[in-house]
Amino acid sequence: MGSGTRQIRTSMLKTILQVATVLLIALGAGTGSAWLALETTRSIGSVDVGAWTTFPRAGTRQADPYARARSARIGELALGQAEGVSFIADHDDAGAPLLRQCSYLIEGPVPAVRFFTLYAAGPTRRALQAPERFSAALHSQSLLWREKQQLSISLGRHAHPGNWLAVEGRGPMLLVLTLFDTPISTGARVDEIDLPRITRVGCDV
Amino acid sequence: MFNALRILLLGLFGAAMVHIAILSLLPIYSERDVWAALAARADLYSTVPLVHSAAGTEGDRPFIDNPLIEASVCRFDLSTGMTRILADGRVPFWSMSIYDRDGLNVFSLNDRSAQQRTLDVVIADPPQTLELRKGLPEALEQSVLVQADVTEGMALVRVFVPDESWRAAVSEFLDSVRCAPL
Repeated sequence: MGSGTRQIRTSMLKTILQVATVLLIALGAGTGSAWLALETTRSIGSVDVGAWTTFPRAGTRQADPYARARSARIGELALGQAEGVSFIADHDDAGAPLLRQCSYLIEGPVPAVRFFTLYAAGPTRRALQAPERFSAALHSQSLLWREKQQLSISLGRHAHPGNWLAVEGRGPMLLVLTLFDTPISTGARVDEIDLPRITRVGCDV
Repeated sequence: MFNALRILLLGLFGAAMVHIAILSLLPIYSERDVWAALAARADLYSTVPLVHSAAGTEGDRPFIDNPLIEASVCRFDLSTGMTRILADGRVPFWSMSIYDRDGLNVFSLNDRSAQQRTLDVVIADPPQTLELRKGLPEALEQSVLVQADVTEGMALVRVFVPDESWRAAVSEFLDSVRCAPL
């Protein structure tokens, strides 16, 4: 009689433990995978061009569920096709994460656009404040141009001749390149374009 | 052994459910609903200048991220008639996007698609567009007619500020943006 109740009790305990394990796996893996899919820069629905990433259908009615959830989390009003397209980079061409204490060279071809803007942003996509007197963003009409539409911009904490985007502080950053009034904003052709390369020049210790 | 495998499979099945639930519920329960945030700040048809995210606090949402872009937004409701959006002045570049109630972009245009690069846009839903085709009022001859498949929506005007010397002209342009039911 006594051993019978003990048996029932252990089997009940076993069932409860099993259910708890199932729930733990479900909640842990479910939220974890959703967070990963929404938080990483390169994710489902993204198009990569070199170090740059864009979500061509983000913020439109054609957006996939991931893009919709991502937009809702950021609370953004995405650029329309007639306005332009934004590219984000969180690592350089060698694959190392972009850091504010490092200096970079951004050079290479830029597709045909009316104008483009480039700025550095924090991990939440908020534009970084530039050090005093300097502009937090550059645009194509304020740049010095080399031959054949080759772009060349230095980025870092130390002043540089030519085109220089000033940043300060330490820690990770994003680069946001926005092309305005361009025929490439229609998703299908986005991956056929060339964008500038991001090369790390050096880092402050 | 068999039991452990069963637990793992059940757990993964549950994980897929949780994953899908989070994805589909996020847009519905997001605290950053743009429409709600704007409704708390201004009435329908009144224009709201957007704050830059670099300087903004949480209450200023929605933000505009690009430091070289200034923007204003207004909410409209087509169920009571078409909406006309007008602005005066000349700026280097302006563009306009129409978003639906959920903040999804349904239409966009820039100054090149407008006559004389003037911002004069009439937003109409499909039945209203049909009505317009029958005879265009003279006052709207210069306007860009936009057919948007929305009832409630938001119109956002973005303006490029190449340098500080343009700032006065740009804010004058944005101040002049008028959103009005027709």
